[in-house]
Amino acid sequence: MAEISCDGRTTRDINSEIRRAIAAGDREIVVKDPGARHNLAVAILDPARIRISGSAGYFCGGLIDGPRIEIDESAGWGLAESMMSGEVLVRGSVGNGAAAAMRGGTVVIHGDAAARLGVSMKGGTILVAGNCGYMAGFMGQKGRLVVCGNTGDAFADSLYETACFVGGSIEGLGIDAVIEEPSKDDVAWLDATLSQYLPGVSRRGRDFKKVVAGRKLWNFDKREWKVWQEAL
Amino acid sequence: MSDALETSGTFRPEVIEDIQIKASSGLYRIRGWGTLRERRWATFDDLTFLPCSLTRIPLEGYREKCSTKTLLGTRFAKKPIELDVPVMITGMSWGALSYNAKVALARGARTAGSSNTTGDGGMLMAERENSRTLIYEVLPSRYGINVHHMRMADAIELTIGQGAKPGTGGLLLGSKVSDVIARQRDLPIGVDQRSPARHPDFLGPDDMIIKVEELREATDWQVPIFIKMGASRVFDDVKLAAKAGADVIVVDGMEGGTGASPAILQEHTGIPTLAAVCEARAALEDIGLYGEVQLIIAGGIRDGVDAAKALALGADAIYIGTAALIALNCNRPLFIEDYRALGTEPHHCHHCHTGRCPVGITTQDPELMKRLEIDEGAERIANLLRAMTLEIQMLARACGKSDIHHLEPEDMAALSMEASAVCGIPLAGTRKVFGR
Ligand SMILES: Cc1cc2nc3c(=O)[nH]c(=O)nc-3n(C[C@H](O)[C@H](O)[C@H](O)COP(=O)(O)O)c2cc1C
Ligand code: SF4
Repeated sequence: MAEISCDGRTTRDINSEIRRAIAAGDREIVVKDPGARHNLAVAILDPARIRISGSAGYFCGGLIDGPRIEIDESAGWGLAESMMSGEVLVRGSVGNGAAAAMRGGTVVIHGDAAARLGVSMKGGTILVAGNCGYMAGFMGQKGRLVVCGNTGDAFADSLYETACFVGGSIEGLGIDAVIEEPSKDDVAWLDATLSQYLPGVSRRGRDFKKVVAGRKLWNFDKREWKVWQEAL
Repeated sequence: MSDALETSGTFRPEVIEDIQIKASSGLYRIRGWGTLRERRWATFDDLTFLPCSLTRIPLEGYREKCSTKTLLGTRFAKKPIELDVPVMITGMSWGALSYNAKVALARGARTAGSSNTTGDGGMLMAERENSRTLIYEVLPSRYGINVHHMRMADAIELTIGQGAKPGTGGLLLGSKVSDVIARQRDLPIGVDQRSPARHPDFLGPDDMIIKVEELREATDWQVPIFIKMGASRVFDDVKLAAKAGADVIVVDGMEGGTGASPAILQEHTGIPTLAAVCEARAALEDIGLYGEVQLIIAGGIRDGVDAAKALALGADAIYIGTAALIALNCNRPLFIEDYRALGTEPHHCHHCHTGRCPVGITTQDPELMKRLEIDEGAERIANLLRAMTLEIQMLARACGKSDIHHLEPEDMAALSMEASAVCGIPLAGTRKVFGR
């Protein structure tokens, strides 16, 4: 196991040391005293386990492909943005745009997520134990977005094929978002995934609402003028 | 003319047609290519070079050494880009463009010692394999975003906007979202794809500082980071981009091309390319970074003359899009029946949005695409880049410059009061800069 302290060092230095440790064969890395520093563990492309023992700033775990990153406290904006595979777990809460444009892997947030969670997601799974802010799931293309608590306004606006699941209440649906009954497979998947990643959540699969695209924004159509006029 | 045939100056025939088309579709109009308006604003045509006579000594126009080497990204990147020529191929997405067009552009740019750029759909592996210098765009949509591709690139371009539609995201109509393109972008086949305008993980200029650092970390601080913007509040935006840590700033003027955009945005948003260069230079001078942060200018650049004028006004390099497509036979009188099927004619086509490009450039139809032969297209691109460079050299030598990057505003006179006021260059025949 490698221990890397952030105290008095540049981000560039810290990230280089993470890469060096991985290249030297370390598969367990602890990053100490992160002090909510931005851009920690960016573009890590190997299946190492990196623990950030504290809070991280913006873009922690951005552009990764393969590692498991655990953040003991909270994370800033753009957590795990555009990640391709791996796991990112946050014990606290996260800022705006968490898991934005993610393409694969799993992001687990034990606390709450701020606005624009999972915007433009292209794959993978996002799990939030708490609540999320406005515009979560905006333009979600693929993958699954699960919010166990309540959502903010404009939830799941302008969706493509992301499937969204909400355990609590939805403050307001976004344009073209429709609620449908989760299938048996959805419920089974939710139960299995929640018990694996968020066993502390009491809600079961059957308690969730499913939100998908109404597909009225997928192609220009003058009959849907009202929808187009209001599309964000 | 008899009263019976008089035309309204307000409701001109094209206005009548526009109203009737919207009355039928219920939608704003969408098309490709860029502004079609007659340009009544100051353009590069409003400037003329002042070659040497007695006050300055020219170089031999056809032969004397005149360097065209172009360095970009000298501010922070470990490996700045070094090009043989100052004219580069701009970002045009695989999706808007066919596979053949993308590969021909890459191969042609490589032959001429220039660069090419990915686009709003990610990188095509064949594009990388055929490029010498490849710039990887990171756009708000993040379609096809792939860290491995990013790390193969020679520069990263963080795109905030485009000249054809600053403040609005890209469009790709369903006819071009083929199964291959849909897979590449993680979209359902055949949707009318409308890209977002805002990046998903940052909003303002302060967040962008951190984003730029992220991109540097992701690429080990090796390659230059470009920031591209549509020309709107250029003086302020350029300063913010420089503050965010850009090595290179790309400013795309209102004449900038597009594969598909709402027509009103192409016609009525942004400022012209000429004005944009002048504002961008002034902004960099204002913060003491002129020369340290390099400037690329795009938007309606047609030839070496436009390019030379942009260089003289302060650009370090030039992006071309539409001119490169024209080199690939866009609007050439071939397959005329297919232009007519689109309701247009060669030299008038701006129908890239339809996906039915008669010459195989802006299409995903395998049969149409075959009309663009890659090697032949690549050769035409290389030839255009070289010819434009020779034109720039010709003007630079006439102005006594042994390096095209030594061209300066003093090498030109303005031909209109507007150009004089915009560029701060005296009007020909006077000693006067208008508006000063
Ligand atoms: C067919 C086509 C596709 C384009 N696709 C993109 C794109 O994907 N991303 C982007 O930033 N700009 C795109 N642009 C804009 C160009 O990068 C560039 O800013 C513009 O074309 C410059 O103007 P010009 O065409 O007059 O040279 C596209 C332009 C065209 C003509
Ligand atoms: S010829 Fe093709 S590339 Fe040129 S304007 Fe027409 S559709 Fe677009």
